Amino acid sequence: MIRFAVGFRGVWIGLALLLVLSLGMLGCAREVIKEVEREVQVVATPTPGGPAEQAGETGQADSAPSGSGAATTSPAASTQSGGATGGPAAAPPSDPVYKLGIFSDLTTTNYWSYLGSSGDGTIWNGYVLGGGQASLFTYSDQRFDWVPSLAADFPTPLQEETVDGETMWTSEVTLKEGMTWTDGNPVTAEDFVFTVQTVMDLELSANWAGIVDTEFVEKVEAQEPYKVKVYFKKKPGLSIWQFGLAFCPILSQAYWEPVVTEAKGQGEILEQQKFLFAHVPENEPSAGGFVFEKWEKAAFAEKTKNEDYYFSGVTVTEYANGAYAESKPGAFEFSAYGEPTGDKVLEYTSGPHADATIHSIYGNQETAVLALNKGDIDFIMNPLGLQKGLQAQLEQEENVAIVENASNGFRYLGFNVRKAPMDDIAFRKAVATLIDKEFITGTVLQGVAIPMYTTVAEGNGFWYNPDVEFTGKGLSRPERVAEAVKILKDAGYTFEKEPVVSEDGAFMEQEGEGLRMPNGELMEELTLMAPSAGYDPLRSTFAIWIERWLNDVGIPVKAQLTGFNVIVERLSDEENLELWMLGWGLSLYPDYLEVFFHSRHTGEDGLNRGGYSNPEFDALADALLEETDLEEARRLVFQMQEFLADDLPYVVLFTTPLIEAYRADRLEFPYTTVLDGIQDQGGLTTTVVLK
Amino acid sequence: MAGYLARRFGQIVVTLLVFVTLAFFLIQAQPGSYTSFYALNPEIEPEVKAQLEASFGLDQPLWRQFLSHLQNYATLNFGVSFGHYPRPVIDVILERLPRTAVLFLTATVVSFYTGFLLGKTIAWRRGGFMEYTATVSGVLLFTMFTPWFGLMMIWLFAFQLGWFPLGKFLDPSLWRGSPVDANMVFTSMIITAMAWGLAVLVATLAARRWAPGNEGRVVLVGLGMALAAGLAAWWLSGVGHLAWDILRHMALPVGTLTLISFGGTMLLTRNSMLETIREDFVTVARAKGLPERTVRDRHAARNALLPVVTSLVFSLAFAVDGSVIIESIFSWPGMGRTLLDAVLKEDMPLALGAFVLLGVMTLVAHLIADILYVYLDPRVRYQ
Repeated sequence: MIRFAVGFRGVWIGLALLLVLSLGMLGCAREVIKEVEREVQVVATPTPGGPAEQAGETGQADSAPSGSGAATTSPAASTQSGGATGGPAAAPPSDPVYKLGIFSDLTTTNYWSYLGSSGDGTIWNGYVLGGGQASLFTYSDQRFDWVPSLAADFPTPLQEETVDGETMWTSEVTLKEGMTWTDGNPVTAEDFVFTVQTVMDLELSANWAGIVDTEFVEKVEAQEPYKVKVYFKKKPGLSIWQFGLAFCPILSQAYWEPVVTEAKGQGEILEQQKFLFAHVPENEPSAGGFVFEKWEKAAFAEKTKNEDYYFSGVTVTEYANGAYAESKPGAFEFSAYGEPTGDKVLEYTSGPHADATIHSIYGNQETAVLALNKGDIDFIMNPLGLQKGLQAQLEQEENVAIVENASNGFRYLGFNVRKAPMDDIAFRKAVATLIDKEFITGTVLQGVAIPMYTTVAEGNGFWYNPDVEFTGKGLSRPERVAEAVKILKDAGYTFEKEPVVSEDGAFMEQEGEGLRMPNGELMEELTLMAPSAGYDPLRSTFAIWIERWLNDVGIPVKAQLTGFNVIVERLSDEENLELWMLGWGLSLYPDYLEVFFHSRHTGEDGLNRGGYSNPEFDALADALLEETDLEEARRLVFQMQEFLADDLPYVVLFTTPLIEAYRADRLEFPYTTVLDGIQDQGGLTTTVVLK
Repeated sequence: MAGYLARRFGQIVVTLLVFVTLAFFLIQAQPGSYTSFYALNPEIEPEVKAQLEASFGLDQPLWRQFLSHLQNYATLNFGVSFGHYPRPVIDVILERLPRTAVLFLTATVVSFYTGFLLGKTIAWRRGGFMEYTATVSGVLLFTMFTPWFGLMMIWLFAFQLGWFPLGKFLDPSLWRGSPVDANMVFTSMIITAMAWGLAVLVATLAARRWAPGNEGRVVLVGLGMALAAGLAAWWLSGVGHLAWDILRHMALPVGTLTLISFGGTMLLTRNSMLETIREDFVTVARAKGLPERTVRDRHAARNALLPVVTSLVFSLAFAVDGSVIIESIFSWPGMGRTLLDAVLKEDMPLALGAFVLLGVMTLVAHLIADILYVYLDPRVRYQ
């Protein structure tokens, strides 16, 4: 009994210790909360209102601004009309937050790093960080006209003048007055100069280098608070000035100057860049429709409405005759590209109409689709669009709308034209003739790909040349074989056994054998490298069919389906590279034609991996780089497309439709038909109306 | 015993060295070059590419890169992530680790507890309906195709019935204006769980020392007090609702993981128990007239526990690296998805860091298993 009493006392001592431990936990919790409250006080510091940016979001992520001047509509059918909308709905929305689903976390909230570091240049960062900066010029909605944003009007024409004994090309831009950052400071020419100067001083690379091309840009000056002057060392083409520097995102000098100054004191240039990129912005002023509020890592990012957004209430109108007009009562009116009269193809009033946006991160499309069905999110943002199966699932839902637009990109078959027989246009033409793109995209792939023939997307209407010859289009199987054999024989190729295809084209009655090149040598087996089905089932399917069709006529080709990295590595192996299949995402302004096909880019670091070299094409490409007139540039691009369709350094194969889904009972977009889909417009956060 | 542990520790250090070496060369041996991360970006000038490569040490000969790699890992410097440039790899790992730890440790502990409990029970009542049902269910769940099962669980319980949230680990509308971030809450939850575990341990030890025979009640009282204190602490903290939100989001993935993995433990325990109950000491215990429950729990189950403990310890190690599939299906951003994303984006410093962490945790698990064996099986000490 005594022992029990003593033992029990001991137990109570133990429990008392536990109690002390518990109280300790309580104390710790209070301390944590005090600490938290202190943090909140800092974060919750009110920021004076202020605004600015263009009427439409440009959430483009991984491409530098560069694009066309006009009329671009998607050829793909859209299930939603691209009709106009007026202002906000009369009744306030039940939930004023625009909720978007994305599939990967941000990697930074630092805009310098987003455009300056390869790792951070992701589309997901772009979705969230885009639209918060000012820029002198921008693209109009849907049609991609080149229009002023912070600029009050178009720039003065380029002038040659002598500055400090050097010949330079200059242009001036007058800015709108009255635009402010959310910290209350006005958006001025000094902000533009600061941003460009920082890019130059810190030698920022990646997308920054494409925007501020220091091979051309000498300096920028603030002539007056609302007037900038740019100086170029050489005469800049459209891609350098109008579609390059003029699109430069402008960051707040008041916020970033202390950080940049400290970065410049860090020694080597890479250390300086690292310091700048490592800065985590807090309360960074915005000039867009929304201001960045919170990033809960791997969960969501929140932006809140900029109540003083300069473009809020601006009415944008686009006319069928190509004219563009925008106006804000009492503030400004602007029109361009013709007389703003006649049929309107688009009209809307800019918001933001939502109080906030939340980008929620989902690990997979299936769950995001369920969340869309349930109403947890309003729109799914994905650069690859929805999978076909999920599209079918969503089509059953009454409150969900599906839109389908063409992607601005292409997958292609490349030739190493340094080697025989790829160096022969006839051979390349025969290969192009044998590839039945319609059969693969329509019958085999059931419409998950769209056949393409030119290096400029059909949806990129201003730059697309509709008169380019479509090699092999519309031919039946026997006609393709006959045409290819004819092309080869005309060029001096011989067969030991000539291919014969059955009349209905269903099978080969006799496969071609013993193909000899014009010099009499037997053609050796060629390797076609393409991504494996795990990486891209579309390209691997194309590769398998191309292999079969070429083998049928006696062209010995072996498809090697392999990893992306392996193909990329082989691209620099000029000796062993033969045929390959890869793809490109494209910018709107097609100066990529010069990058892909000019002979100056055939080196190890160039992107003309096939070694294509045509002096006439080079001359056109050089002229395009220097061209400053939009119409003349268009003529050059048309010619370049014709050259490429004839010379065939690439056989352009297909692009993919981009399928998107949104809650039709919650959202009303001003338009849904647009190249690269609504996702490429950042989800139209400043113009969407919530119901 | 000290010698035994020192020997084991030495072996583990050597194994770790071999592992880190293999991991390095495995990454180097992959097809292509991970510097192609930059290769097709026309906006990056060749000089800049060269500078970046130099900054990552990729311009050095392989042997020098390897020596730097060893030196860095010895000082816990995992380098800088390509994908999160310029964040250090260790920073990214420490950010993701608590989320995976909370989810998978909970699921592992729950599934092992239920699996062990059910395993020993069905082995004891062998031949009954319960054994057949549990065994068939266990095998079925154990062999279930995880992605499909996860999606079905979400579809049924979250979408159709609406009992749980649709994936993710928090509700953005609740966290929009919250004064704390999720990692702080996760870390606090881990500390609370550890405090509760410590409380149970203290109560158990105290009861054994001072109130033998009343352990159960004392532990219950101790746990109750610690639970009450912990809950009160959360309630007073003002962020208890956020922890509750995380728990609400955890329910479905934990339930799914438990269903998938408890079958393995249950079957292992059952088999181990079936072997143990044929041993002479069990017959002796019965012959002494001990109650069935005592024979089962104190004599048979304790001896059957050894392989189960080994399995548990290894599972805990792998829990730290998460499951790519479960984390993707439930939009739970932990180490599994980090590892997958790093590999897909060719963020090799991060992939290597996460991979090596997995190796270290496995080796630590081996060490813990060895120590536990010493405690659980006295024969180990005599060897």
